[in-house]
Amino acid sequence: MISSALTRPGERDRWVVKFGDIDWMLCALLCLVAAAGGLMLYSIAGSSWKPWAGDHLFRFGLFFGLMIVLSLVDIRVWFAMAYPIYGFGLLMLLGVEAAGDISLGAKRWLSVGVLKFQPSEIMKIGIVLGLARFYHALSAEDARFSWKLMIPAAMIGLPALLVAHQPDLGTAILLAATGLSVMVIAGLSLRLIALGVAGVGAMAPVVFMFLLHPYQRERLTIFLHPDSDPSGAGYHTLQAKIALGSGGLLGKGYGLGSQSQLNFLPEKQTDFIFATLAEEFGFIGCFSVLLIYSAIVVIALRIASISHSHFGRMSAAGITSTFAFYVLINGAMVMGLAPVVGVPMPLLSYGGTVMLSVMVGFGLVQSVRVHRYAEVTSGKGTLW
Amino acid sequence: MSPNEPTIFFEEVNERQGAFHRRAFLLGGLMGAGLLTLTGRLMQLQLVEAGRYQMLSAGNQFNFRLVPPPRGRIVDRYGVELAGNRPIFNLLLARDEVSDPTATLELISQLVPLDDRRKRQLIRDLANSPRFVPVSVADDISWEEFASINVRAPELPGVTADVGETRVYPFGGAFAHVIGYVSKVSEDDLKKAGPNPDPIMLHPGFRIGKAGVEKSLDLNLRGRAGAQKVEVDSRGRQIRKDPKGDISAIPGKEVMLTLDADIQNRALEVFGDNSGAAVMMDCRSGDILCLLSAPSFDANEFVKGVTRADYQALASYDHKPLLNKALGATYPPGSTFKTMVALAALEHGVDPNRTYVCNKTWFWGGRLWHCDKAHGVQNMHGAISTSCDIFFYQTALGLGPDRIAAVARKFGLGDTFDIGVSGQRPGLIPDTAYKRRAFPKDPVWHPGETPSMGIGQGYVNLNPLQLCVQAARLANGQKAIMPRLVKSIGGVEQPSGAAAPDLPFAREHIDFVRAAMAAVTESGTAAATAQLGLGPVKMAGKTGTAQARGYAGGTGAHGARGAWLLRDHAWFIAFAPYDDPRYAASVLVEHGGFGADAAAPIAREMMRMALLKDPEVRKRIVQPEQEAPRIDPNEPAEGRAPELPSDTPAPADSGPGDPA
Repeated sequence: MISSALTRPGERDRWVVKFGDIDWMLCALLCLVAAAGGLMLYSIAGSSWKPWAGDHLFRFGLFFGLMIVLSLVDIRVWFAMAYPIYGFGLLMLLGVEAAGDISLGAKRWLSVGVLKFQPSEIMKIGIVLGLARFYHALSAEDARFSWKLMIPAAMIGLPALLVAHQPDLGTAILLAATGLSVMVIAGLSLRLIALGVAGVGAMAPVVFMFLLHPYQRERLTIFLHPDSDPSGAGYHTLQAKIALGSGGLLGKGYGLGSQSQLNFLPEKQTDFIFATLAEEFGFIGCFSVLLIYSAIVVIALRIASISHSHFGRMSAAGITSTFAFYVLINGAMVMGLAPVVGVPMPLLSYGGTVMLSVMVGFGLVQSVRVHRYAEVTSGKGTLW
Repeated sequence: MSPNEPTIFFEEVNERQGAFHRRAFLLGGLMGAGLLTLTGRLMQLQLVEAGRYQMLSAGNQFNFRLVPPPRGRIVDRYGVELAGNRPIFNLLLARDEVSDPTATLELISQLVPLDDRRKRQLIRDLANSPRFVPVSVADDISWEEFASINVRAPELPGVTADVGETRVYPFGGAFAHVIGYVSKVSEDDLKKAGPNPDPIMLHPGFRIGKAGVEKSLDLNLRGRAGAQKVEVDSRGRQIRKDPKGDISAIPGKEVMLTLDADIQNRALEVFGDNSGAAVMMDCRSGDILCLLSAPSFDANEFVKGVTRADYQALASYDHKPLLNKALGATYPPGSTFKTMVALAALEHGVDPNRTYVCNKTWFWGGRLWHCDKAHGVQNMHGAISTSCDIFFYQTALGLGPDRIAAVARKFGLGDTFDIGVSGQRPGLIPDTAYKRRAFPKDPVWHPGETPSMGIGQGYVNLNPLQLCVQAARLANGQKAIMPRLVKSIGGVEQPSGAAAPDLPFAREHIDFVRAAMAAVTESGTAAATAQLGLGPVKMAGKTGTAQARGYAGGTGAHGARGAWLLRDHAWFIAFAPYDDPRYAASVLVEHGGFGADAAAPIAREMMRMALLKDPEVRKRIVQPEQEAPRIDPNEPAEGRAPELPSDTPAPADSGPGDPA
């Protein structure tokens, strides 16, 4: 080890040092995406801060502060809170199942006093923390293939099924994909992965026929045959493709996207905001935003890989894959490569709860970076 | 890593970390591949297929709103407008722009009359209508109201006035039957238009011809719809207009009819409260100058959409204002038919000087046959002039039905004519073949059925247009001229009715009948009521008093006595000037009583109007040594010969009560 001031005991616990260890490049890129989101929301509202752009930027400012605070939270606190948070999230999901508010035909929200929140968003952090905590104590051999893998499988399957039952297929897919990525990254046997892929392929028709809601099945059918119903349910996909395609290389110009400005584009401020961006800024704009997203993913993965603790590695990688899946699923959906499921473009789309969970996640990633040398043990007395 | 190799830095690096690094790389690679896929898809959509999607986007953004074309005008033979268009202002309220509909309606009601019931109705309509579909507050507001709304526009957000066109019939009822009217497109109209109707038919402002010329020439009058290019949002709400992209509408063709508005208006005027029909033709060209059915109705009401109560009132009135009696109803022609019987007799070698004695009754076939009075000894000329039934009972009996029918048919009786208006009922000229066809149980023509036919009763049923054609062909004397109603469509002259074959009768026989018709007005049945008072220009004619109901058992009433519905139908056919015929007319007064009293005066007034408008006839009327005085055709009585009736008694007043 190189001898330096930072190797001195206690040096890394100083707040100034911690603050300096935050990845400011990552912060800048997140701000850039959020600013792009604000720009688009301003345009969609007909050049007005209301109702979306002002809110969006204000919230981002708030959650950015929260991220900074969370990045200073010791990784051992995260470690200790991992199972409690996961457990709390699971309880909340069960609570929604029992007594959730119904909104748009789905039970997603839970009211506690005046607070309304979606437990599935807690679960997005909780599942990463819980799995990271589990794998932290698991040997490489066991992570590859053993009976103990039943536990993470259950940890993923249970919340995913609960969320799918709400029904919120998008979030369920996101949770499952995140969990499985964590399992893969922890060293799951490649043979088992291949077997799993084959199994999923075989199960897909069964799921399609028996487990999906009729509206979900309809969306899938329309995805497979997009021209079967251009004015009905296929309308969303078609209009999004028209918005994207008509943007061309350079776009129609800021504030001039007819598809979004004239309301042809559905959910233009949330799930389909990328299509608005594509319409007004064209391929150049889309490519730039995708590039920023890629940079965020690369930086976050690098943070994961420089962590000395397995918990830190796993949690940072888990959050990164959640983020990447957001981008990939939403992008594929908007571009007509995937069926329409309610997954927003992170930080670009309008919506407070998703932004909160994303920023909390990056707080965790930053914390992993700040505390990358910290020794995390599962033994007693390490914390409090 | 081989365990034998000495490691310094990687000593602490356990297997888990190594696996993590490899897998993180793998995952990163997969994500990169995913992002590359998205980029590829973006390139496909935005760079390769951009043109196609740009077109689709423009198709979304711009919409073509159909603009109804101005409907072609209908004018009379001199260009007087019979059906035209006028601008119409409709007041619309856009629901999404009105925050307080009650207050807005209150303000509107200060400018445009709106009663409380209408206001409540409108508030309901506003609440129930789709958000972006404007609700019509008031149809057809006046220009003053329109202007006052526009002045107050800043206080009335969401209130717009829409300028359109509506059909207008300047003469109201005078032409309602022949021209018909337009109205909203019905389900039936759409069905008839076939599987791909003209999209303009679905436009709320579009009106389609429902009757008369408006219906039969609808496609000519309709024109082609234009389109207005507008930018719309996804709900179809208009955002902006783009006048450069507009496609202008092609107006409908102007239809010129052969009618003369002055004659037809005069006919309606003299018809008064009577029910019936009046037809006039130019007997040289076949042009129909007047085609009136009375009483009439205001066609303008039907354009707006007639109320149920008004329609019920029209439909239940026993004078049947909705029925076109000139074409769509048939009546026994009565004594006017004697002209045909006489001609048939002459054609078959009957001596016109052969006489019969009329003692008011004639016993034949086991029953008594009646006449109006005892005419004494009658030859053919006299029998036409006095309309002696007894003479024609026996003349007809001598001819038989087939010979009479053959002659009648040559004069257009029992026929329909291609005048461009549907709804003609052919009526019937009976003969032995008809009897065989229509009465399988009693297929033989009994001789007892012939005398009735000889006086235009029995099975004989005809419409007023046919009688006018008959009069016109008699007047023409040579050609079987055809009636023509549509003079030109879009400036293209329609075939004339004069191009017709000759009548297959000896000229002297026709002249004989014409001379007898002159005697009718000179000294015969209509001598008192058919004097034109136009000096040397005289009218010839024939009266008809057709039995509407059987007299037996007191159900029918002869002449003008008794209940209206039971009275005889009054007929008069005429042509003038007698010595050089130009105009022919037929007049039917339903249940009018005697033809001479009820129908002849109407024919006289129509004829006066036609003759006084004709410059060549006027030259004859005006004394050569006098300076030509101004004669206003609308004031025929002004300062002329004393026999000009300055106050023509309305036929309704003169008809009933006066014995023939």
